[in-house]
Amino acid sequence: MVVNIKSSLSNLQQNDIQNEKIIIETRNLDFYYTSEKKSLINVNIQIPEKKVTAFIGPSGCGKSTLLRNFNRMNDLIPGIKLEGQILIEGQDIFDKSVRLEDLRKKVGMVFQKSNPFPMSIWENVAFGPKVNGETNSGTLNEMVESALKQADLWKEVKDRLTDSALDLSGGQQQRLCIARALANKPDIILMDEPASALDPISTGKIEETIEELKSNYTVVIVTHNMQQAARVSDYTAFMMVGELIEFNDTKTLFTTPEKKLTEEYITGRFG
Amino acid sequence: MNSLKEYFRKGDPYVLLSSLGLILSLVMVVFFVGIILVKGLSIFWPSDVELVQLKDGTKYLGELWSSEENKITNPDHSINVVPKVQYKTGNRDIYGFDFKWIDKSEIESISNPADATVFERKEYGNFYGFIKKVAFKGKEYTKNNELFDKATEALDYSENLVEKQADLMKSGNPDAEDKIEKLNAEISSIQILIESADGSLNTFSLSKFVGFYQPNQMNLFEKSIHYLLNIWTFISGEPRESNTEGGVFPAIFGTVMMVILMSVLVVPFGVLAAVYLNEYAKQGLLTRIIRLSVNNLAGVPSIVYGIFGLGFFIYMIGGSIDTFFFSEKLPEPTYGTGGILWASLTLALLTLPVVVVATEEGILAVPKANKEGALALGATKWQMIRKIVLPNAAPGILTGLILAISRGAGEVAPLMITGVVKLAPAMPLDTIFPFFHPDRKFMHLGFHIYDVGFQSPNVEAAVPMVYSTALLLIIIVVFLNLLAIFLRNKMRKKYKSASF
Repeated sequence: MVVNIKSSLSNLQQNDIQNEKIIIETRNLDFYYTSEKKSLINVNIQIPEKKVTAFIGPSGCGKSTLLRNFNRMNDLIPGIKLEGQILIEGQDIFDKSVRLEDLRKKVGMVFQKSNPFPMSIWENVAFGPKVNGETNSGTLNEMVESALKQADLWKEVKDRLTDSALDLSGGQQQRLCIARALANKPDIILMDEPASALDPISTGKIEETIEELKSNYTVVIVTHNMQQAARVSDYTAFMMVGELIEFNDTKTLFTTPEKKLTEEYITGRFG
Repeated sequence: MNSLKEYFRKGDPYVLLSSLGLILSLVMVVFFVGIILVKGLSIFWPSDVELVQLKDGTKYLGELWSSEENKITNPDHSINVVPKVQYKTGNRDIYGFDFKWIDKSEIESISNPADATVFERKEYGNFYGFIKKVAFKGKEYTKNNELFDKATEALDYSENLVEKQADLMKSGNPDAEDKIEKLNAEISSIQILIESADGSLNTFSLSKFVGFYQPNQMNLFEKSIHYLLNIWTFISGEPRESNTEGGVFPAIFGTVMMVILMSVLVVPFGVLAAVYLNEYAKQGLLTRIIRLSVNNLAGVPSIVYGIFGLGFFIYMIGGSIDTFFFSEKLPEPTYGTGGILWASLTLALLTLPVVVVATEEGILAVPKANKEGALALGATKWQMIRKIVLPNAAPGILTGLILAISRGAGEVAPLMITGVVKLAPAMPLDTIFPFFHPDRKFMHLGFHIYDVGFQSPNVEAAVPMVYSTALLLIIIVVFLNLLAIFLRNKMRKKYKSASF
């Protein structure tokens, strides 16, 4: 496994967080699902713009929880409590002046299990722009086409846009979900283990898509798969039991980790 | 001992029991449907007319109705079996009865005279006899071979005149009165002389007749045609003779309309209630209590809903509507009395629980991933409910509708106090502005069954009517259900849940 990661890292360039523009920042973030259980403990992280940032860590370490706080999906769960701040483009997202719908339009999300709506492919991609008030069918057509192209799906589906999205294969469905998020023209795309339920070929295609996306979007990806993190990300954060253990440029984190826990995890001694 | 244990362990006896249970239910359903089919459909068959001569010389003409064996216990405890047959002899205005039981031992001979004729009358039920003379257009016909054709001709002519007269009456023209008088005289001059089995001669005006036929002369094909025509008359005709004869069209119309109105009222209410309960209300003790109450409402006896409908809808709401909008008509109530709107509302209330429960199940079955996906795209909660939850829950909603129709269409008790009548003078939907009259009383097949079967003055003659009406009610409920199931399957195909 270590050899694998090393080979993925060899063609990766060195990044330096000091030179990056920060788009997401958390300040002393504590998060509780119930009043007893603290799921995030004092997390401070700065995620750079137009880069791919990966969250890795063992199951239950809080990486998905952290990710789902960035577009406030956790708000749906009753009984949660959050302390500290999350700033996106310098704006506190829990501020009263922030409209939840605008935040979610700006911060798109792709889920672990692909969740296309039971509608046509076109309707799926146009869903976001439509609920956000776009009614001109010409504009919608353009948006759908551009989103599908960015998600590398246009060639496969351009002749059957009116077919049900549920007739697509698993990998295509997940890329449709990426296209659906892109149609909203977001700044940030959150991906919660987007390839964990897919076969290797589909996974490869998703990774290619992520690679292409980073020139225009900030991508934050949660993954179980360390090779994947090494392959696609510029920065990697390692988390354990609700704490951010180490956050660094991907190459540095995988080759010369600062913390012993990180080293033990990436060399497969636990997790 | 071990093999017995093994036998029970494998569960064979339970498989046997469950299959027996299934067989029992199937047998009951088949038996039930069979009885209603046979009894409900056989009434329309034009059976042969028999001339029965008794040993004492009395003659009866009629259709063989049923037979029975009476057991009479003698003083010495031996049992005599007396076979009896029942004939429908008609001629109620002359004999005073429709049916006659005859001891088989008293019968001298039975014959099927070819010219025996069955007359369907507008009043007093059937008449059985022989045509002797027909008089119309100033001529009299007595020749045996032309009597039936001339009688048919005369009946057509008479119906024609009656129609003309009705048209004249509708026009309301004052100088039409003379013409109406003239027509009246002519109609009553169209007469037929009929000899009944006992030899008495009776003269009738043909305008009192619906039709007549000579079953003993008809072949199978002619009888089949007559049979189908009878069914059609039953479905499309107006009731006669306090509902024991004629058709049931107003009742079919009332039933279907009431069910449709009920569906239109109950579905939006039930769906909105279920949406609020599941999506907006904070889940906790209160929602659990509400859910429990809704479920329990389904078990409240329907007559209780009827009384609620009477007190709340009719007296309170209807009464207020009358005071505010129809005060010039008071004390004659317009909405403050039973009507199809109030009956439908009452039934909507009665079926609300099933719609709420089924919709809730439908909503719960919507994948959480789809709901989250919509919210993550910036949809508001309402947009998410409208575009994701409701379309996906549509099959569940339709299941609720199916259950509501099944329950609502067969309900009679609450209708009896909220707007159903034995005979409605006008339909709730007609060509007079404003076309739909929600305040009108209506007829209903379920109530029709009760009324004809148990409230009519001539119960024996009405029994077949009860069976055929029951058959019709079942067919209508099945048909409405099939419609909803068809819709649901279409929806299911469209919204099969996402999975890979």
